[in-house]
Amino acid sequence: MITPNLTWILLLPLFGLGFVCLLPADKTSLIRRISGVAVLLPFALSVWVYVAYDHVAGGFQFVQNIPWVVPFGISYHLGVDGINSLMLLLLGAASLAAVLISGSIKERVKEYYVLLLITIIGTYGAFLSLDIFFFYFFHEVAAVPVFLMIAIWGSERREFAAMKLTLYLVAGAAIALIGLLALYLATGLQTFDLVAIQQQLASHPIPMATQNWIFPLIVVGFGITLTLWPFYTWAPVGYAEAPTAISMLHAGVLKKMGAYAIIRFAIQLMPQAAHAWMPIIAALAIVNIVYCGLVALTQRDLKYILGYSSCSHMGYILLGLACFNTIGLNGVVYLMFAHGIMAALAFALVGFVSEQTRTRNLDELGGLLKCMPFIGTCFMMAAFASAGVPGFANFVAEILVLLGAWDQYRWLTVFAVLGLVITAIYLLKAIRLGFQGPLDPKFSKLVDAQTLSAKFPYVMLLALLILVGCLPSVILTHIGSSTKTIVESMR
Amino acid sequence: MIIPVINWSLISLEVLISIILVFLVVMDIALPKNTKKDWIGISSFIALLGLIIFWSTQKDLTGVTFSGMFVMDSLAWFFKGFFLIAMVFVFAMTQEFFKSLGERRNEFYLLLWLALIGMCLVASSADFLLMFISIEILTISLYVMTAYLKSDKLSIEAGMKYLILGSLASGFFLYGISFLYGITHSTHFNVIQSYCEIHVMAPMTLFAMVLIFAAVGFKIAAVPFHMWVADVYQGAPTPVTALLSVGSKAAGFVVLIRLFFGIFGAWHLEWSLALAILSAITMTYGNLVAMFQTNIKRLLGYSSISHAGYLLMGAAAGSALGVSGINFYLLGYLFTNLAAFLVIIVFSIATNSDEIEDYAGLSQRSSLLALTMLLSLVSLAGMPPLAGFFGKFTLLMAVIKSGYVWLALIAGVNIVISLYYYLMVVKRIYVDAPRHTSAIIVPRGIQLLLIAAIIGIVVIGIFQGPFLDAAMAAVNGMYLAHL
Repeated sequence: MITPNLTWILLLPLFGLGFVCLLPADKTSLIRRISGVAVLLPFALSVWVYVAYDHVAGGFQFVQNIPWVVPFGISYHLGVDGINSLMLLLLGAASLAAVLISGSIKERVKEYYVLLLITIIGTYGAFLSLDIFFFYFFHEVAAVPVFLMIAIWGSERREFAAMKLTLYLVAGAAIALIGLLALYLATGLQTFDLVAIQQQLASHPIPMATQNWIFPLIVVGFGITLTLWPFYTWAPVGYAEAPTAISMLHAGVLKKMGAYAIIRFAIQLMPQAAHAWMPIIAALAIVNIVYCGLVALTQRDLKYILGYSSCSHMGYILLGLACFNTIGLNGVVYLMFAHGIMAALAFALVGFVSEQTRTRNLDELGGLLKCMPFIGTCFMMAAFASAGVPGFANFVAEILVLLGAWDQYRWLTVFAVLGLVITAIYLLKAIRLGFQGPLDPKFSKLVDAQTLSAKFPYVMLLALLILVGCLPSVILTHIGSSTKTIVESMR
Repeated sequence: MIIPVINWSLISLEVLISIILVFLVVMDIALPKNTKKDWIGISSFIALLGLIIFWSTQKDLTGVTFSGMFVMDSLAWFFKGFFLIAMVFVFAMTQEFFKSLGERRNEFYLLLWLALIGMCLVASSADFLLMFISIEILTISLYVMTAYLKSDKLSIEAGMKYLILGSLASGFFLYGISFLYGITHSTHFNVIQSYCEIHVMAPMTLFAMVLIFAAVGFKIAAVPFHMWVADVYQGAPTPVTALLSVGSKAAGFVVLIRLFFGIFGAWHLEWSLALAILSAITMTYGNLVAMFQTNIKRLLGYSSISHAGYLLMGAAAGSALGVSGINFYLLGYLFTNLAAFLVIIVFSIATNSDEIEDYAGLSQRSSLLALTMLLSLVSLAGMPPLAGFFGKFTLLMAVIKSGYVWLALIAGVNIVISLYYYLMVVKRIYVDAPRHTSAIIVPRGIQLLLIAAIIGIVVIGIFQGPFLDAAMAAVNGMYLAHL
């Protein structure tokens, strides 16, 4: 049987990038087409990887391992398990949608796609790597392209937003790097290979005193990426000012690298410290949920609402991470996927609306359902998904997290449920002010997404949300096969 | 009296360089004064490429000669290659730089060759006398080159500052050596080293060490010996600035490695904390001040101070890993910094400006210059997949391994600060609208060199293995190593 070769997931977009670089800048339609193919192919491969992954056998599959820097024990080590195969799927779908909705970019098209492709390649690399060094390496590759994309193609406060976002994320990454290096040195194995470190630490855990200071470095470092309260302030402004594709990718996927890293490197490798520290993180998570939710309530800008909403929902991920049980961790991974798709969809829709109306302010909008029924309906569905209405993927994910948390943190869970109510309030408010009510005459000429190709990205993301929401087992079997071993190692 | 046997093969590289220098002097005299063609530059270039090939055959050459004054070991070999490659860039910069100035170009080339001899000898010194003389050869030629633009006030000022402070540093160095000679009756490294191994932290020797370190600190631009940096970087002709920031700094680090990992290596535990504190202060100072610069050469000047701070982390770590980190970091820094200075030269010739605000919209005026500047600044900030990242990675690993987690955290904060001002320049280049829309034309030769530098930055950043091996091999075969 032919098995998928994971390196191609990186090489195909890299070839696409090379082609785009070589093309003259004025061949915009060709550049767009090549970029589309360059993200479609790895998406297709990711689907194949996902389908071919044997969740009964579990563990890491399709592994490729090439020694890279021998003295330090760095190797180019790729492989997937139930968690990152799902993340590949998420990235594939989000990146395809992001490239497809970028048609409205008219200036400096070539540079745009070059930077976008670099961001996507870096993120694929991070999710594929089973080597701590290469995870970090790929995860940082995206930082500067994202800065440039926000600063060049963003809205009014773009330069401020770009700088703030980048500095926060790099600060987090630097803290995390120190934690990872300390972890590497503490194992005494002279290898960055995650699998080898996992095996070693399962039998010889790092001394508690050492774990106790390495763990917070990694969790706070990557927590900044995951908008852990109080380090979340970069996100709302960053997402609001970024071009649509970057808001989609960052809120949808890049941010999830933080959660992914915390699962892989912090919780699984240092379970003792996790038991000591995670209750604190759980409390912060509740602040995330409630505080960011309340801030979202006060916002009038659609993108800011989504930005704060995204910070608020990261609270559920953090809460789930603190549960130490299978159901909670399943919920976390489920939510990473569900929220990723939902966020990508919501930002894409808001991007569409604001390009048409030239405003994102709810006070100026209104009645948009009348002139753009398709986009409006999609937005309402995305909002329902986000608020945890059954039938959408987010519902399953949030229920799992809350069930997991109930055993551990009774009171915190009550507040977490309250967060869902807050979500519903601000999203319903956004729908009422933005999409219902009388239509402002100046908006009467607006056009909806009409052609099939224009509708496709939204339909695809929405279909994924509904599919996964109605048939949880499609992804739960994959997730379960991997979370089981992680939770076992935490006992 | 016994006449010592001299092993000429060990010193053949320096001899060759001297022969080339003499040959070029003769050529300069013999050539008619009004030749348009830059014969000396062209022959220098060819000679350099030849020397690099010759150097590559010397890999396994090791030994001591001239009664133990001159050593050829892996560290010397590594750094000689480093200096030769740096010189290729500096010569090309000089050629470009003097196109607009025209006169007195040939003497400048000769001074560069002299500086190269100095640097190569520094790398091979195994005796304080030779080390002092070779540092002086390097520094004196730098004095002259710094003040080379006779009609430019800034250049004269830079030259004066560099001369006065440099002489002070040389004075400290000599004073330190005289103490060491008084104590041990020798200037040979091996004699002093064996003395230091027995008498750990002997007060007088310690005093001498501090004096010598002050001189080295001047060379590498560590705080508090950094006062000259910004003005000299700004005022000196840009090829000299490039040489100062890469060649002269690396020469300082060879001395540092020989001192702290050779002669005074036995005192590791005592000096490492002091170096760690100095490293933290240096990088923080450099980065904080760099944030407020409006001139690109001054900005890179302060950034070079901060890089001295990062590099000192490797020294503070006090391990073979730390020294390998220094070597690797310098290798990445070579391509990164020289690429930036190449861009600065081309840009300043075209626009007659070094102000950062004039870089606005460079990406629309020359995409190659903009890309090179982007990559080199981002690499200086230490972002993957570029050369600067793995250097910082190695140094951070070394200090954490030695127990200085606080230093690693300070370095982490510094990376963020430095990223801020590098990205401000990137923003100017890529985001802001250009004031002048005229395209900047990059000469063919410089284009090739820019592309070579980009390849260097990216290849070292992605395929770190072979370069790390080279950096480690340089440490493993070091003469008198005490690690």
